[in-house]
Amino acid sequence: MKLLNKIENLILNKNTTMLGVGPMSKNVVDSAIELSNKNKVPIMLIASRRQIECKELGGGYCNNWTTEEFSKYVKKKDKLNQIILCRDHGGPWQGNPDRERNLDIKKSMIDAKKSFMADIDNGFKIIHIDPSISNTGKLIPKEIIIKRLFHLYEFVVDYAKKSGKEILVEIGTEEQSGSTGTYEDLEDFLGSMKTFVNKKKLNFPTFIVIQSGTKVMETRNIGSFESPIRIKSEIPVEIQIFKVLEICKKYNIFMKEHNADYLNDDSLSWHPRIGIHATNVAPEYGVAETKALISIFEKYGDIKSRDEFISLAYKSKKWSKWMINKKDLKKDLNKAEIAGHYIFTNKDVIKLKKNFLQKQSISETFLNNFLKKNIKKSITRYLTNFNLI
Amino acid sequence: MKLCAIILNRNLPKVTDQLYKNLKKNNKAIDIFVVEAGSDEKNLSKHTTWHANWDEAKINGLRYARGFNFALSNMYKEKIFYKYDAYILLTNDTYFHDYKIENKITQIFKKHKKLAILSPCSNSWGEKKTIMNKEKLKYFWYIHNNAYIIKTSFLNEIKNLDQPGHINFLFDGNNFRGYGLESELIMKAYANDKAAAITTEIIAEENQNYLLKFSEKIKTEKYDENLDLYIKEGMKWMHKKYGFKSKWSMQMFVKVFYDKFFTTNSRLKQYKL
Repeated sequence: MKLLNKIENLILNKNTTMLGVGPMSKNVVDSAIELSNKNKVPIMLIASRRQIECKELGGGYCNNWTTEEFSKYVKKKDKLNQIILCRDHGGPWQGNPDRERNLDIKKSMIDAKKSFMADIDNGFKIIHIDPSISNTGKLIPKEIIIKRLFHLYEFVVDYAKKSGKEILVEIGTEEQSGSTGTYEDLEDFLGSMKTFVNKKKLNFPTFIVIQSGTKVMETRNIGSFESPIRIKSEIPVEIQIFKVLEICKKYNIFMKEHNADYLNDDSLSWHPRIGIHATNVAPEYGVAETKALISIFEKYGDIKSRDEFISLAYKSKKWSKWMINKKDLKKDLNKAEIAGHYIFTNKDVIKLKKNFLQKQSISETFLNNFLKKNIKKSITRYLTNFNLI
Repeated sequence: MKLCAIILNRNLPKVTDQLYKNLKKNNKAIDIFVVEAGSDEKNLSKHTTWHANWDEAKINGLRYARGFNFALSNMYKEKIFYKYDAYILLTNDTYFHDYKIENKITQIFKKHKKLAILSPCSNSWGEKKTIMNKEKLKYFWYIHNNAYIIKTSFLNEIKNLDQPGHINFLFDGNNFRGYGLESELIMKAYANDKAAAITTEIIAEENQNYLLKFSEKIKTEKYDENLDLYIKEGMKWMHKKYGFKSKWSMQMFVKVFYDKFFTTNSRLKQYKL
């Protein structure tokens, strides 16, 4: 239980909020590793299945890495062993949608298990199990989600045990743990989790994802965390956070907040003081890199490259799920900034960057250092406010 | 239990009179007063009791805090303040799903002796899902509402008699738009070993359409502008008065008193959220 002790020490003794960084690109991964090693502070790299996936299932969009390659890369670069590899939202239909759209539950569960096995084989330490989404967009009944969760939980823990690996588990999604339900629902959920692990003689999960008034849309946090007015049907965050933390304490589980991107410094600095145990941040870092890339095109007067990149990012439509107004299809810079990191491994973007470097006689290292400087600024904001450095 | 309702009006006489009528029709024993927050002469309610008609009030209005300070301090000066056991403070855009509230309020206060502040719930509040007990009531450390029912004995304990008027009495009228004042009020309740509750026994809503559609008629800022000023002024007030730079400081402050309340009143733990 070395890792668990390390986490408990950070959260309970040092009063920090742990940071999970989404691997949005190779530069984001490098920035997180370099910062964690420079400051000797653990950072969780929280890979979704779309970002990083095992070889058998085709890899992910982040640097086209497979789980195996990603793990090998991180371990080699992480000299001080500060990075905690984590799976974020593992489970059925959480992988590449183009591949998984037409899979039935049986096949998607098989894929989810393959993905988890590769995670464990390759040194992932925290596995988030989230079977809450469907391939049709239809809501899955809570009972079915819990049944699948328990099935995958047992599978993951058993596989880790057989492989001789230490593994910690994260459970919950906003849907199944507090936001839309009642505190009784949350207690029921944790209670049934407790019954399940006791019956199976398994360890209780380490983290639970609970909604805490954060929601990212476009390049803003539009949740209730910073909102002075009521949000329909939501419990004010002033009540929600304290209450769920009480419940977490009762069940001896850490609360993990998702989607804390773009919260202001005041809100972030209150995280450790309120006692929020851990937080995931992802798109903000991708957007920071994209903005930096666009700005360097402008700095060197290469408007053609800038416009071409903006066009490619816009055409990718990867911005669409982040838009508040789904009917807003107009091409603009903001959409390109949102979608940019999804297309860094696109052939046309690689070619565009290569041409830019040649034209301007600058090295790839210089460009990456510039991009990382901007990403690191964004990550450092969280490390500082979370009392980690 | 003798109840008094005070309705705050600013230039919407029809809306105010309708609320007055609905309340009166359903609660014969509740006395109702109307305070005009700088309304124009032509826009006074038929039932106006007091009219804040000085220039500043006419230009900027009084808002919740100053409006009810003005009304309550007038009652105090007119020596009718102690005639009532509790005050129902309502903005004119409030509407109840069931206007028969007198007995419900009386029953709740009769049962909950420590209760100082009672808030109706709204169907659109997330809190509604958390109040599933038989009594339909839970004690809270944060209640954001425009309709509070406050017990006179508590008002008496916390009243500020330093030049009572629209600035001083119940609320700190220096905070004009009132961001943070509800937390200060609840903090004062728990700090005085009293409680604040939300009940789903009474459902009230705020009709925000009036503010969104009739801001010019009401003579107030547009919704977004008002919201921006509400936060800015409230944070400035919070910093000046308490040295707090964040809403979270205020929340933790109130929560400390809330938790302490249940250590000294353990028999009330069933109402703890």
